[in-house]
Amino acid sequence: MNLSFFDQFMSPSLLGIPLILISLLFPALLFPSPSNRWITNRLLTLQLWFMNLITKQLMTPLNKNGHKWALILSSLMILLLTINLLGLLPYTFTPTTQLSMNLALAFPLWLATLLTGLRNQPSVSLGHLLPEGTPTLLIPALILIETTSLLIRPLALGVRLTANLTAGHLLIQLISTATTILLPIMPAVSLLTLIILLLLTILEVAVAMIQAYVFVLLLSLYLQENI
Amino acid sequence: VLHATRQLHTTQQSLAPLPPLPEKGGEVRHGLIPEEFFQFLYPKTGVTGPYMLGTGLVLYLLSKEIYVVNHETVAAACILSVIIYGIKKFGPAVAAFADKLNEEKVAKALAVKNEAIESLQAAIEEEKKEQWRVEGRSYLFDAKRNNVAMLLEANYRERLMMVYNEVKKRLDYQVAMQTLKRQKEQDYMIQWVEKNVIQSITPQQQKESIAKCILDLKALSKGAHAAV
Repeated sequence: MNLSFFDQFMSPSLLGIPLILISLLFPALLFPSPSNRWITNRLLTLQLWFMNLITKQLMTPLNKNGHKWALILSSLMILLLTINLLGLLPYTFTPTTQLSMNLALAFPLWLATLLTGLRNQPSVSLGHLLPEGTPTLLIPALILIETTSLLIRPLALGVRLTANLTAGHLLIQLISTATTILLPIMPAVSLLTLIILLLLTILEVAVAMIQAYVFVLLLSLYLQENI
Repeated sequence: VLHATRQLHTTQQSLAPLPPLPEKGGEVRHGLIPEEFFQFLYPKTGVTGPYMLGTGLVLYLLSKEIYVVNHETVAAACILSVIIYGIKKFGPAVAAFADKLNEEKVAKALAVKNEAIESLQAAIEEEKKEQWRVEGRSYLFDAKRNNVAMLLEANYRERLMMVYNEVKKRLDYQVAMQTLKRQKEQDYMIQWVEKNVIQSITPQQQKESIAKCILDLKALSKGAHAAV
């Protein structure tokens, strides 16, 4: 099959049936559900330890009300982490490269934090629009700037994740193409490109994990402000 | 899918004892292929059977271009090498960490149990000590009895001493009274005798005695002169 560089980002469908749902649900198969054993096998022990770690990390700065978000934030974290890391395998579709998917994740969650803040403590929420200690003359301009930055948050969240992963995947494709093309012509340069590709792969693994973490962390930060 | 002949769950069947899970996972060769596969092929093809099968399969896929070698192959090689390197390097450490987590869990429970046992044993030791102490109770009582007897004796002696002292004081007083009386009588008598004697000396007698003394003195002086 002849792949163009953008075929990897096409949402997969088989005979007209969109397969994106399966690719989103697949990571759930990889995590065993906790059993009622006291001492579990290694995979389950590590999984439980990891879940505890990220839940603690996310929930420590939040007050009691924010702990209602524990389930959605930690499961979002696991989902993004798994999808990003699985996308690094060859011929694998990464759902988080789709802007629609990331905006669909970011927009409702951000809006939920905003509406929670506006509903429960409206003056405090609006008060966040003006940082402390600004000179009086700058107040109107600063309100406009802060409002803009507030309204652009969901876009930023979605586009950040999309751009990072798409760029990474594209770079991998391009550099591996370069390696393949250069192999019969200039093997030494091909070897150099291969080394670059190895380093890039390591970077992509790191980026995959970091982007997932950043997404969820920013959401928890927006929650902290508003809850 | 429910089999029509099977009853629906009417009891909490899920709490029935489960069969024990195997402790370790199944054996795999090269991290991917279960050992059972090699054992399955061993009777017919021997040790190299599965490897020949694998090689043949890979070559078939490559030569017929069922698997096309393109840029994704290079990317696949890179990510697979990173994954395998990671597993080889950090695999045992991660496994040891998971084992340690489980060990800590078990150790905590064991610690509780051991602590309970130790505290009970200490209680047993204490009880035995108390029983031994009870045996020595008679000695304790003897010593206490002796103590009390000594106290009584000492008290009795003390009071005896007090009585003696009081009696002696009264007798001393009587003795002192008597001596005083006698002394006073003696003194008075001497005074009376002296007074009477002095009164009885008449002037005539006084002159006579003085003249006698002078005559004696003269005689003595003569004698002294002669001696010198």
